[in-house]
Amino acid sequence: MKFNQAMPGAHAGSGKKFRKLRVVVLRAGMSLLFWFLCGAPVMPQTPVAPSTAGLATTAPAFQVFTDEVGRRVEIPAEVKHVVSLAPNLTEIVFDLGDADRLAGDTDFCDYPDEASKKPHVGGPINPNLEQIVSLKPSLILATKSINRRETVDALAHIGLPVYVTDPHSVDAMIASVEHLGAVLHAEKAAAPLAGELRARLADLDRRLAGTTPSRVLFVVWSAPLISIGRDTFIADALRHARAQSVVDTAAEWPHVNLEEIVRLQPEFLVFASAHAGDTQHEIEALRTRPGWRDLDAMRRGNIVVISEAINRPAPRMVDAIEQLARALHSDSFASRSPQLAAAANISLEDCSCAR
Amino acid sequence: MSAPETSEQKLGEPPKHGRTEPLNVEQASFAYSASARSTPTFTLAATTFQAHERELVAILGPNASGKSTLLQLIAGTIAPLSGRVELDGQETSRLDPRIRAQRIAVVQQESPVVFPALAGDYVLQGRHPYGQGLRLASKEDIAIAENALAQVGAQHLAGRRMAELSGGEKQRVILARALAQQPRLILLDEPTLHLDIGAQVELLECLRELAEEHRYAVVIVTHELALTAEFADQVVLLQHGRCLRVGSPAAVYQRELLEQVFEAPLDVEPGPAGRPRVNLRARRRQDAT
Amino acid sequence: MRPLTLKRLLWTCGLLAVVLLGCVVLALKLGAVPISVTDLMWDLGRVAVGGSDPLPSEYSMIVFDLRLPRILLGILVGASLSVAGASFQALLRNPLADPFVLGVSSGAALGSILAMIVVPQLALLTPLGAFLGAIATIAAVYFLGRREGQLDSSTLLLGGIISASFLSAIIMFLMTTLAGRDLRGMVFWLMGDLSTPVSAGLRWILTVGLFAGVGAIYTTAADLNLLLSGEREAIHLGVDVTRVKLVVYVSASLLTALAVSASGAIGYVGLLVPHAMRLLFGSDYRLLIPASALGGAIVIVLADTLARTIVAPTELPVGAMTAMAGAPVFIYLLRRGTR
Repeated sequence: MKFNQAMPGAHAGSGKKFRKLRVVVLRAGMSLLFWFLCGAPVMPQTPVAPSTAGLATTAPAFQVFTDEVGRRVEIPAEVKHVVSLAPNLTEIVFDLGDADRLAGDTDFCDYPDEASKKPHVGGPINPNLEQIVSLKPSLILATKSINRRETVDALAHIGLPVYVTDPHSVDAMIASVEHLGAVLHAEKAAAPLAGELRARLADLDRRLAGTTPSRVLFVVWSAPLISIGRDTFIADALRHARAQSVVDTAAEWPHVNLEEIVRLQPEFLVFASAHAGDTQHEIEALRTRPGWRDLDAMRRGNIVVISEAINRPAPRMVDAIEQLARALHSDSFASRSPQLAAAANISLEDCSCAR
Repeated sequence: MSAPETSEQKLGEPPKHGRTEPLNVEQASFAYSASARSTPTFTLAATTFQAHERELVAILGPNASGKSTLLQLIAGTIAPLSGRVELDGQETSRLDPRIRAQRIAVVQQESPVVFPALAGDYVLQGRHPYGQGLRLASKEDIAIAENALAQVGAQHLAGRRMAELSGGEKQRVILARALAQQPRLILLDEPTLHLDIGAQVELLECLRELAEEHRYAVVIVTHELALTAEFADQVVLLQHGRCLRVGSPAAVYQRELLEQVFEAPLDVEPGPAGRPRVNLRARRRQDAT
Repeated sequence: MRPLTLKRLLWTCGLLAVVLLGCVVLALKLGAVPISVTDLMWDLGRVAVGGSDPLPSEYSMIVFDLRLPRILLGILVGASLSVAGASFQALLRNPLADPFVLGVSSGAALGSILAMIVVPQLALLTPLGAFLGAIATIAAVYFLGRREGQLDSSTLLLGGIISASFLSAIIMFLMTTLAGRDLRGMVFWLMGDLSTPVSAGLRWILTVGLFAGVGAIYTTAADLNLLLSGEREAIHLGVDVTRVKLVVYVSASLLTALAVSASGAIGYVGLLVPHAMRLLFGSDYRLLIPASALGGAIVIVLADTLARTIVAPTELPVGAMTAMAGAPVFIYLLRRGTR
């Protein structure tokens, strides 16, 4: 009968050393844990403007703004590096002439071409927070419709100022341009740009006064069929082009039943695309599909393809609005003004309305 | 009443409380029913017997005779509807589960093993009723467990996996666990079910010796006629929930009675040492003529 | 005979703790932004000692404000899920049980979502919703898995799968029909995501909950060993089976709920970590529970590190990593049969 060799009592000596080690490890672990729990970040909460010590102290270190979703944002007086978390915001930054201050943007920022050459921080939905921080941003730009609230909260939590835009209409988009101009201290560029955009829209309104709005279906995606809600900026853009979406719902990107569209019989089908050729193929394929082939607009060829700029609340959107307006109400544009054409930068091959 | 056993008591020492008939079953009855208002689907009618120290009692009967119910009454997992089931004067169903586990050990068919377990660790589980908290095995626990394995002749199996053991070996290890509990009473539920005849005899001989040496009272639930006749000191014969007879094998094994209970043609004749011998009387074609 | 000794218990836990520490250092070093280890050690030392001079560099912001809390959260989540998995495996006597497979994670997720919908202003109530969802699901699966009064393996797993699908369908329904709500972040969270920092209040709840839950389960560790041999045997050996089952079910559900409300439904951790620990260290729950906690922490820290570095700067949700690694291992285990 053998007894167990490794008895608990037989190793009393090493047990003591053991206990000491245990205590040290435990203490280190506990302090780390408490640090984690109390969540005390090692950095001070608000970033102090760097190397402004030599300057006169009359200007405050940072200004307080309220962003478009009502958040209070403290932005340093000197914004050295900006990170944009949405393609439309990148475009606005470029339009304001601040491309050199743009330290980083998302993988999807593709306009203008220089934007895609900037350092990327990931996609708008899950940008890499570490990457953002490593770019040493003084300000981060986000938008409610694309970015996640959690991302904005996370960045704010570690003390980085985030300005969130939330345009639901074309006018709001122009206002965003002005807000961003203020925030980036680029009012000199923002004001004329905003003025020009408003002028073009006013001109469009004049031209289209008196025409009946066309009933359209704006196709975001064809399979499954996704359109736009009434409160989106796209719906508002349509209205500026004297078009009315047949889909009237509060949801932003509603999945629509094709049968319902057949019942509503829109006058025009509107597609937005960067590459007109691909869209033409898609439309050809849809011509013969059940449901789609029952649409008058499809049979008569009342299909408009406009620039995908309509999807982004940025100045380029106005170009797309004008493009759509011309396609739907060509009569109102009989006397084409060269100024309008130049500003709108229309290329006729983008507009395929085969009657 | 009597103090619970402590771990100082070694195997082999006489128990501290003096009764020689630890188990007293008096007019104990039970009934199962699906709900409080429906009629009972099964009843165990009032049953009376005692189990003495060093005695092997067999609860004998065919399937569905109430043996398992009686076993559970003795084990204290259910309370009798009427009557009493007492161990050393205390109702088994009212004992604190920890105390009960220190006094009654139940050996059942092993449930299928899902996680690998070593035989040694399995036997050590028998010390659970004596421990506290994490119950890391003390020197005494290990000694008692090894002793228990030795008692059943399975000390060489300590390091083996339960899943790898044969039926007989497993049965021995399970019995060792029961012994490690240092009980007063050992209950076995159909222990010979999956064993071949050699292993069956070995098991019962082992039980005899253990009961003799350590003054256990042993109660075996079984339907094995021959083994019971050979090894049991007392037989409680059950059929359809009724206790038909209690007594020594010679007294209980009456041909007509057994034939009626087991519904098989049997022959009973006296055997050596006053124990009856049971033979199956198979019908042959010649008998018909 | 070599039963578990205190010495072996402590040494194993110590070893695993050292491995965990190594993984933490590795995780702190790796990421979309490179960090030097020596600076790191210096700063870690300063924090552990308690000095909190403002460290002005961005890298320390990355390390201390982004990575370290994320890693510590991962440790909590990994430990919770593994211990919950080990507990369910003991109670249900089935090595293929885990909070994810049994649908408990989905129930907790649904509970969280409902809490977010009903009381959005009280974010701290989300773990409560998760807990109620978890308890309800495990109760349903337990009753679905009974056949003739006994728990049947295959029926149980089927019950779990059905529950998980049903609950996922409800979650999808809620997400698509609630137009105005900003539940977009939900998709990420549903896959299991550690990238969004957790509020301080929730951190406290998580930490306290982890220690309370694991502690409660650990008090029954010796009883769980007996339960593995069978409920009847455990009763006959003096175990209060009803009390043990109640304590362990509630605690395991609590652990699952807390993990899910912090990081979504991360799968396979509760299944595979206890299994691996069992292969390495045996089935004794007195060792398996702390080993699973530490092992789960290690696995999640490593998986999360992979998730953030494999296609940097894009981040994969950590649940995707555990599923990609876990599903094939699970299938292998299924085919090999339970040992």
